[in-house]
Amino acid sequence: MSNGADTPLLVVGLGNPILSDDGIGWRVAQQVRTIMPANGSVAVIEACVGGLSLAELLVGCRRAIIVDAILTEGGVPGTVYRLRLDDLPGTLNLASAHDTNLSTALRALRRFGADVPPDEAIWVVAVEAQDVWTFAETCTPEVERAIPAAVEAVRALLKQPAAAPRE
Amino acid sequence: MTRISIDPITRLEGHGKIEIFLNDQGSVENCYFQVPELRGFEVFCLGRPAEEMPRLTSRICGVCPEAHMMAAAKALDALYHVTPPPAGIKLRELLYSAFFVTDHTTHFYALGGPDFVVGPHAPAAERNILGVIAKVGLEIGGQVIAARKRNHRVIEMIGGRTIHPIAAIPGGMSHPITEAQRQEIIAVARENVAFAQFTIQLFHDVVLANSDYVGLITSPGYTQRTYYMGLVDENNKVNFYDGLVRVVDPDGVEFVRYAPDHYLEHIAEHVEPWTYLKFPYLKKVGWKGFVDGKDSGVYCATPLSRLNAADGMATPLAQAEYEQMYSVLGGKPVHHTLATHWARIIELQYAAERMLELAEDPEVANPVVRVIPTQKPTEGVGIVEAPRGTLTHHYFTDENGILVEANLIVGTTNNNAPISISIRRAAEALIHNGEVSDGILNQIEMAFRAYDPCLSCATHSLPGQMPLELIVRDASGQVTHHSSQYVAPELLAEL
Repeated sequence: MSNGADTPLLVVGLGNPILSDDGIGWRVAQQVRTIMPANGSVAVIEACVGGLSLAELLVGCRRAIIVDAILTEGGVPGTVYRLRLDDLPGTLNLASAHDTNLSTALRALRRFGADVPPDEAIWVVAVEAQDVWTFAETCTPEVERAIPAAVEAVRALLKQPAAAPRE
Repeated sequence: MTRISIDPITRLEGHGKIEIFLNDQGSVENCYFQVPELRGFEVFCLGRPAEEMPRLTSRICGVCPEAHMMAAAKALDALYHVTPPPAGIKLRELLYSAFFVTDHTTHFYALGGPDFVVGPHAPAAERNILGVIAKVGLEIGGQVIAARKRNHRVIEMIGGRTIHPIAAIPGGMSHPITEAQRQEIIAVARENVAFAQFTIQLFHDVVLANSDYVGLITSPGYTQRTYYMGLVDENNKVNFYDGLVRVVDPDGVEFVRYAPDHYLEHIAEHVEPWTYLKFPYLKKVGWKGFVDGKDSGVYCATPLSRLNAADGMATPLAQAEYEQMYSVLGGKPVHHTLATHWARIIELQYAAERMLELAEDPEVANPVVRVIPTQKPTEGVGIVEAPRGTLTHHYFTDENGILVEANLIVGTTNNNAPISISIRRAAEALIHNGEVSDGILNQIEMAFRAYDPCLSCATHSLPGQMPLELIVRDASGQVTHHSSQYVAPELLAEL
């Protein structure tokens, strides 16, 4: 599967780009693309998948940063979270109801000998969403305003050494 | 009254919720299945050029974008009054067959299969693709991933992209394939045929050889007699890409066979105050509530429904297994919801064989893949079989091809009423004296999972494997039981 992932670090903007705040991952990824190093060490893609399909996108990369929308109980729209894969209660798109969640999918791929990064080399930048039910090409204002902070969170992670120790 | 609520933590392709109300005796009093529908897709489309629809509608969903692309392209063919050249049609069906192989394979091994291969009573932490692999062997898991990979490659080759392909356009396809690509696709299709045969054998060895499982499949709690719908070709054989919509009654007798542009004469939608999702039904039978039988207009559109609505499969290996299924399960039509899993792998076999047939036809590499539309656009309906049911797209434009109205009936929506009936029936059969166990809850969810529901045709998903949450309330509304199918990663057994 071609995914532009044969680079050490992959940034995946996740979500549905025509479903209001669900498209936040795409918006952030598009911004990140403009600031990434020119040495080809980072690839940026946008995707609208979960589970196995998402895990398959990570084949070949050493580290990954996934940007997605999240809905938490009582969360304030626009809040940016930096999470590890096993911190997750689940962002909106990380799993697929039609196969399995990302963690299980990655574990399955590893069992088959696929070259996917270890869980500790996968970060998730999640943005608290407000509306993920209305078809629209723009985010709600609160979430739109969070784009610079989310881009900054990705930028900070890009600077980190691979497999940074857990905080 | 006791209330049981099965509620996902976030959204099940649009956040579904199952609520079961028990009476004072602890038996099922009522059952509701709800989804908040995504809003405003039709409005979102209005004012846009119609030719954007294959790309736009494929964005509704991260699971079956190929199905939306195909239904949209066919609606546009009709709207622009153009018939694609043979190679254009065959290429579309070839891509679509590769998509069906991928989708049905994934469902069987990762979602539906765990219930049978691992077992309906197995701990939730084992009922996933890792549990299947532990049971059937690592090598088979590798084959599942390899099957996905090689078919994604075919989808990319023909469709222009792996996920959300873009090549189907009004009048045909945007680009042809080369002879070398055709040869590569033949090789993929041959592997698919063998893999489907293997999968059917596995189903026989693991599921059918176990009399408990066969008993479960044929038990009354998983049985309902409805009308069945599916696209058929000129010989009344199952077809995913094209044909007439055929509906058979609960006795298996043809009720109606209609061309896609007549769908509104036959299908109406019932609305309930407690859910946003409509309930399509057969207009000429009428809505009689959540009941099955010949007098109820409830119809079902699933892999099993397609097999019931047809006279057979158009390819030999699939036809042989089709005959086997009806022989084992007591003739046509089969009313057992869990037999949908068997029907799905028969369709997998058909998709693989059909893909090989199409790839072996030199015509698919013909460079003429499109007829340029020249007439003024008006109105068009396109129907395909999506993996989860009959998918209808209906567009109206002004004379400049700008959309003024759009109507979509997506796969799972067809099955909204049957799913509700299935859940209720399973719950009634399994819950007595208010006793609810994890095994019982899973068996109720199995009735739901057989449909592989994709509720709002959105891309949304969940933290776990369909993490339905289940709450039992006693007569005063107090929670007496609470469980969740969500499995935290650390709970996953090291397999």
